[in-house]
Amino acid sequence: MNKQLEVSNLSFRYSDTKQKAIADINFTVDEGEFFCIIGQNESGKSTLCSALVGLVPFYFTGKMKGDVVVLGENTRKSSVATLASKIGFVFQNPFNQLSYTTVSVAEELAYGLGNLGIEREEMHRRVERIAGLMRVDHLLNKSPLELSGGQVQRVAIGSAFIMQPKILVLDECTTQLDPLGSEEVFDVVKALNGEGITVIMADHDMERVARCADHILVLDGGKQVAVGTPAEIFSDPSIRQHSIEPPDFVTIGRRLREEGLYSGDITLTEEAAITAAKGALVR
Amino acid sequence: MKIEVQNLRHIYPTGEEALKGLSLVLDGSASIAIIGQNGSGKTTLVKHFNGILRPTSGDVLINGESIGTRSTAKWSKVVGYVFQNPDDQLFLDTVRKELEFGPRKIGMPEETIAQQTELAAKLCGLDKLLDRHPFDLTSTQKKFCTIASIITMNPDALVFDEPTCGQDVRGVDRLCEIVNTLKGMGKLCITISHDMKFVVRNFDRVIVLYKGRVIMDGSAEAVFSRPEEISKSFVSPPPITRVAQGTGLKKTVFTIGAFMDAMKQTETEAAR
Repeated sequence: MNKQLEVSNLSFRYSDTKQKAIADINFTVDEGEFFCIIGQNESGKSTLCSALVGLVPFYFTGKMKGDVVVLGENTRKSSVATLASKIGFVFQNPFNQLSYTTVSVAEELAYGLGNLGIEREEMHRRVERIAGLMRVDHLLNKSPLELSGGQVQRVAIGSAFIMQPKILVLDECTTQLDPLGSEEVFDVVKALNGEGITVIMADHDMERVARCADHILVLDGGKQVAVGTPAEIFSDPSIRQHSIEPPDFVTIGRRLREEGLYSGDITLTEEAAITAAKGALVR
Repeated sequence: MKIEVQNLRHIYPTGEEALKGLSLVLDGSASIAIIGQNGSGKTTLVKHFNGILRPTSGDVLINGESIGTRSTAKWSKVVGYVFQNPDDQLFLDTVRKELEFGPRKIGMPEETIAQQTELAAKLCGLDKLLDRHPFDLTSTQKKFCTIASIITMNPDALVFDEPTCGQDVRGVDRLCEIVNTLKGMGKLCITISHDMKFVVRNFDRVIVLYKGRVIMDGSAEAVFSRPEEISKSFVSPPPITRVAQGTGLKKTVFTIGAFMDAMKQTETEAAR
């Protein structure tokens, strides 16, 4: 596998705090991977996401140790513009993503492309495609400031997708959406991953993480407490010590196994749990 | 405490009809969850409970009295509303001031304010943060600050709008504790939530809204035992319930213990 992102011995302390927000983080992400970062609130997920795209330490200042290398570029030595063409970022709060300089959703989506000097024809093509993909095509002439939280979230994600980055970092990007909207947006992320884009996502929804992640990084108090596949992470009972609750599907499989009713693999998805339970009944 | 909603319609200035003639009675101390997808009218409905919004037609009666007879400032003594977004609610420079603001406005005696503040701060995990600036709180703490500032008002009913939004496991556990404590004090707790696990763990009655109308109303068991009907509102039952239904278990279950019991029961029945 082709290594696309490498984090080594990364620590960061914000200039206005005494404690490190993240400490001694080490992991790599391969091309095309779906990589999830989980942990309770304030565990360092957002800081880590910001460090992957160079916002830490250049925008959010403080003391950084260690290195982040994105497609061969060390974020310390690279410019934000160079990084922006390789790695895209979707903020947790979509209102932080807006440029606040545009008068329409179409312009907002094209904002980054304009800065890269992309030709007008190509801009139109991409805006049309992304607007359709994110289901905001009926809003293209509206002001970004007139949108609902869910709509802004779609535009924010679209404005990152449209840059066609090789890697996309998403920081809890569905908080403003209801379950249906959240699944729709997530399906788009999944589809992009299917097209070969590497996805790194911080998320609270363990059912979704278990279903989709190739690898998971667990943070607690700014420290990395585990890295592994969903099966490795969720089969370890000590994960609960870090306030991570495994998906109910996993718990069902575990209980069936404890009762001697099931002997198969860990049940990471709804389908797997149903199959295990049905199997237990027809024994 | 009794809230009666009578044929309530609400049309926004944009012409959008958010509530299309809705009738409900909310009373007693049974906690109530209102669910449904974005745009189904949940927030519009609850904003009528203390008069933040006024009916276009129909009426809302609080303990028999029409909502039209008093201002929101007056009603908020009786029904407290916790906003979905903390930044819409917080505006003072310490947590203590936020907690004391409402009670002082309604003329609560200083002694009672002190007691209420202590109780609310403890319940919401803010007792060590009372002198902090709300903007220096974490997003979780901010949310609990907005909840505490409504609890200090000591209203008879509390409405929570999406309290689980952005919360982690510990935050949700604390919310459950808050709701249960308030229930124990005889308060009517009403919540809007997308988190079905939170809903079935804490709320006795579930009301499902779809396009400005009530399409289901009953106990959590009754509502989630009809997955086809509920799917019309694009709500899915909690994960354990879905697995039980997918497996063909007859009982509607919400906990792993109940799931295992239902499995054993089905097995015994099949063996007969």
